[in-house]
Amino acid sequence: MKSKSINPSETEPSSTGALIRLVADLLESGDYGQRVLEVDAESVRVLEMNGALSATIPIADIHNARNEPVVGGGRLEVTTKKGEKLALISYTHTIAARFSEAARGIEQLAKGEELLINLKPQRTHCEKCKRLLPEVDGICPACVDRGKTLLRIARFMLPYKYWAITLATLAFLTTVLNLVPPILQGRLIDEVLQRHTNYPLLYQLIGVWVGIALTSSLINITRDRIVAKLAGSIAADLRATVYRAIEFLQLTYFDKKQVGAISSRVTTDTDRVWGFLVEGVPYFLLNGLMLVGVSAFLFWTNWFLALCILAPIPVIITIAVRFWKPMTQMFYKVGQKWARFYIHLNESLNGIRVVKAFAKEDSEFHKFTKRNVELQEAGVKADSRWFTIFGAMLFFSSLGTIICWLVGGAMVVRKELTLGEFYRIHAYLALIYGPIQWFAAVNNWFSRAMAGADRIFEIIDMEKEAYRLDDGVRHDIKGEVHFEDVRFGYDKSNPVLKDINFVAKPGEMIGLVGKSGAGKSTTINLIARFYEPDSGSIKIDGLDYREIELQHLRRQIGIVLQEPFLFNGTVAENIAYGKADATMEEIVEAARAANAHNFIMMKPDGYDQMVGERGAKLSGGERQRVSIARAILHDPRILILDEATSSVDVETEKQIQEAIGRLVAGRTTFAIAHRLSTLRNADRLIVLDRGKIVEVGTHEELMEKKGVFSKLVETQSEIQEIIGFDLGQAEAAK
Amino acid sequence: MITPTSDNIKLFHEPKDVLRMTVADQYSVVQIEPRWAAPLSHPGQLLGLMNSKGEEVLLLPTVESLSAVNQEVIQRELDRRYLTSTVHKIVSAKVEFGATYWTVITERGQRDFVVQSLQENAQWLGERQLVFVDIDHNRFEVPDIDKLDPQSRKFIDSIL
Repeated sequence: MKSKSINPSETEPSSTGALIRLVADLLESGDYGQRVLEVDAESVRVLEMNGALSATIPIADIHNARNEPVVGGGRLEVTTKKGEKLALISYTHTIAARFSEAARGIEQLAKGEELLINLKPQRTHCEKCKRLLPEVDGICPACVDRGKTLLRIARFMLPYKYWAITLATLAFLTTVLNLVPPILQGRLIDEVLQRHTNYPLLYQLIGVWVGIALTSSLINITRDRIVAKLAGSIAADLRATVYRAIEFLQLTYFDKKQVGAISSRVTTDTDRVWGFLVEGVPYFLLNGLMLVGVSAFLFWTNWFLALCILAPIPVIITIAVRFWKPMTQMFYKVGQKWARFYIHLNESLNGIRVVKAFAKEDSEFHKFTKRNVELQEAGVKADSRWFTIFGAMLFFSSLGTIICWLVGGAMVVRKELTLGEFYRIHAYLALIYGPIQWFAAVNNWFSRAMAGADRIFEIIDMEKEAYRLDDGVRHDIKGEVHFEDVRFGYDKSNPVLKDINFVAKPGEMIGLVGKSGAGKSTTINLIARFYEPDSGSIKIDGLDYREIELQHLRRQIGIVLQEPFLFNGTVAENIAYGKADATMEEIVEAARAANAHNFIMMKPDGYDQMVGERGAKLSGGERQRVSIARAILHDPRILILDEATSSVDVETEKQIQEAIGRLVAGRTTFAIAHRLSTLRNADRLIVLDRGKIVEVGTHEELMEKKGVFSKLVETQSEIQEIIGFDLGQAEAAK
Repeated sequence: MITPTSDNIKLFHEPKDVLRMTVADQYSVVQIEPRWAAPLSHPGQLLGLMNSKGEEVLLLPTVESLSAVNQEVIQRELDRRYLTSTVHKIVSAKVEFGATYWTVITERGQRDFVVQSLQENAQWLGERQLVFVDIDHNRFEVPDIDKLDPQSRKFIDSIL
């Protein structure tokens, strides 16, 4: 009997009256299998699939419940009121988020609260073909109509439809003109050469031939020029569409993907698609027509000879169909190797300073060579296989010619066919095998283009940020920010922020404090709506910020990061990034407020100084001040300062602090600072620990309280003393 | 305070699902989590015993350095904490629509999974060791491709 895979979707929970019923995909032994978690108002139970009860805990005894993340999955842990910790049930990552939600539900029930969780059943398999879906609740690519994909990519031709129609018409004319010379040649053979006379007809036919050659050449030139125009335009449109789609993708996508892999979708994949669109689609119809038309002409001329010379065609079609899939797979593999190659190339070039500093040129070259050889081997293997198959198809094509000479030659000898007719049939043979070979090759071309199209549409169809919510409100922010029971995790099964509640008043400066990993950066990521809470809400001026049009919201939020990112352009362009219509006077004013004006004026080209890629031509402190000037000009209502002064020297920090002092005035500000002393000016400090708020108060209040914050300050002072002592000793040793 | 070593510690579950450690019968660390230092590249080597604050209490060169009783207890905890599956055989693998579909037999049983973006989610850890990360972040490890049967190797070779 064929063994069966155990996958979580195969048994969806049925209704048994339980408030929560989830099927786990791991047995107690760790093997794949199914167990059931059932929760009702009285108890939490674990049942085996045969109905046997493995564990039960009364709700009244539960203190808390959580999903404990483990490597490759999670387990539901319950802590009883006696402090006893019980591991109830284990599961893989596939369903960990649902069990995390169940844990929240158990806690709500244990606290006597209303059950407010979202346990919408997940769709992991296609209902139609039962295939595993590439994404939970996603589309089944097997059941997506290929014709629709083709139509969808063909839509990119719509803006150029008249050019495309002209192109197809010209290609059709070329084909028709190509049919004429064999007719002329046939007549020349029969009516001039074999009769050894009739000069007037010779000149007449040659004249027509020259005319056709000339017309044909003009048509070809025009056609190729249209191809160039169409190719350039469609390629640009495709790249723009994909780039635009990438821009609006949620940040979670960028967290998971490498930049090299994303870039290849804009370059390689779009190239494949436009190549097929421009050079493939128009000829698809044309070659089909040619095949049918010439075959009919051959049968009309001599059906028996036509039948003989077309005999190898079924073999050619069989070869093409048989090797289509393996070839697609091989070319896919080559694609993988290209992607690996690009990733390494991008990484090593971006990190070239580190490579040089550690003298790792040789080891990087070794890695490069490895990827290069992998790519070479995969490419050679795929191309070799392809050329072998192609060679075999060519052989069977040439069999058609040989049969033509064998059967047709005998017919000429027997005078059943004139030499001219034989020549014409022979010439048409090339016109029929050409399209057949094209159709054979188009399989591979089509597969590559479809794979590229799939990857492009994967991006285009991916869930975007709700950037232009139709019913989004355009709200002018006053500055109140209210976190209400906010819970969030990058991995939904493992929340990094839990039960966050606070209100920041308009114009207030809030310092976010805590150890590394406490949730500070996550909090500001949520404020900027790079991510949205999994539960609870964030309100701005009393309005759920998801109801505010995202672009409008972000225009009113300014961010100054620890490592400011500047774009390759002039200083002025970077300062005016958030306000493209800013006047030069406004830019200078912002730079002055950011203590950046003086150093900018000292640059040879002043505000026209190019900053280089990522601002590499400026120092860290200069980059930071330009980014502050950018934020000042942007004039946000809510300001986020993420470790804005941690990577600069003391003098620069003083200048930056001054600039920040001007920047924060009148704006609701959230600041994270490594040096806790720099947050003295904050109106309030929020201390986070393991994703929860543990203290709130002013600097003085928290120091007096002698709690978590006070300990953090003490630890930092001790470290600074140690560093100071070490530095002092080092100086003394000199 | 006596420094814990592989010889003077005693590991046990108390309460039921909490791993606890006593050192030379002098003091107890109540919540211990075993963590492999490099579970993929150096399996079975360097096991850290971490306390509830995430601080290392003891680093063991191997589990074998513990007594048989301690080994049994720690193994039970490791089995719970590491759910990565080891692939013994590849039943089928195919590339379709930009994703790869796999059916494998692991030490935990048979499983189907889908991997997208192979260049990112099929991670080579050396020449012959491979880890697949599926769309849900489940991990499937092939410790040594050469130890797979020819058909399984052929599947990998045809795709990667």
